[in-house]
Amino acid sequence: MSTGIIFPGMGPWGYSDLGKFLAANPHARKLRRIADDVLGYPLMDRYRAAAGSDLSDYSEYSQVAFLISCLALIEEAAGTLAAEPVACAGPSFGGKSAIAYSGALPAAEMILLTARLARCEEEYFKTEYTDVVTQSVARTPWSVLQAILDAMTQRDEWHDISGQVDKDFFMISMRTPSLELFLKEVRAAGGLPLYAMRPPMHSSAFAALRSKAEKEVLSDFTFSSPSLPIIADQDGSVVTTAAAARDMLLDGFIRPVQWPKVVHSMKELGVTDVYIPGLDSLFGRVRCTTENFKVIALKPGTLRR
Amino acid sequence: MWNDRYEALLRSHLPFLPETEELRPDLELREFGLDSLGVVDLLVSLESEYDVRLTDDILSMETFATPSALWAALADTRESVSL
Repeated sequence: MSTGIIFPGMGPWGYSDLGKFLAANPHARKLRRIADDVLGYPLMDRYRAAAGSDLSDYSEYSQVAFLISCLALIEEAAGTLAAEPVACAGPSFGGKSAIAYSGALPAAEMILLTARLARCEEEYFKTEYTDVVTQSVARTPWSVLQAILDAMTQRDEWHDISGQVDKDFFMISMRTPSLELFLKEVRAAGGLPLYAMRPPMHSSAFAALRSKAEKEVLSDFTFSSPSLPIIADQDGSVVTTAAAARDMLLDGFIRPVQWPKVVHSMKELGVTDVYIPGLDSLFGRVRCTTENFKVIALKPGTLRR
Repeated sequence: MWNDRYEALLRSHLPFLPETEELRPDLELREFGLDSLGVVDLLVSLESEYDVRLTDDILSMETFATPSALWAALADTRESVSL
């Protein structure tokens, strides 16, 4: 038996989901104090005040709160894991938690980096790609999706694959005028559209955002070599150097998440059991994960699922 | 009104609904634990149980909003077959 840690991607969780845990859990409180210090404002006050606003799900405050919750939960579980983990991974937003957990960047710096990247991203999408969303579709095998995307290409409609979550579960970025017909075709083929994310993510179209983040934010941070290998969510490669950890974070802006490749790499490393610290509504629950690993969810005690 | 078979199947996908609580027609399924992946699982279960293939407009989150909306969609799909 060998264990791995999977830090969840960020879902649309709000203050009502995490506020109580962040207020009461001693590990979370310690990280909150660090956050207040490095951010220069009281995180919980801002997080609470932003709750319910249109952008609250993915606001700077929500992102930092989510990061803290994941790091607190794995810290709390230390010593209780069935075996020392041999690798960690973090699809999409989870890459930030994985980098902090691996030791490639201290938690305090990752908190600050998360907040600054959130601001950078918000600023970028205020004027760029203002009509682009990333739509998730389930029950849509690649052969079916490919035909739909080919038809979009024929119609000169821009689109990009932003991620593969499972054999028949994908994330596609496109402009909102293309969405209606795309969804209709997915449904006609028996696929189930789930949600459209804004801001969009993981597309080669956002190369300018990657450059902006590198120049304006990442240049202020120095990464170390991870003490625990990280599996890159873009291609399943094993990240063991500071430079590769930094690239993984930046490439998240422009390269799709390839979750099945991460699962494959973890299996190659011998992982049989995975712990998922944090609120997870996706990567720990898809068949690709549950058929390959024993999944142990580490969630705030107030939640059952 | 739906039958016991439907209610049992739907309840098995609602982790936050106590056994003692009535499955009201307008119950908000999301509030009782039916999230996006839960919908995917429920869909597979329904298709298997009723031997149907749901497509087109039925495949939207609105269909899975309440027990009555979902039952209506299912009944439409299998209009000629006893549920």
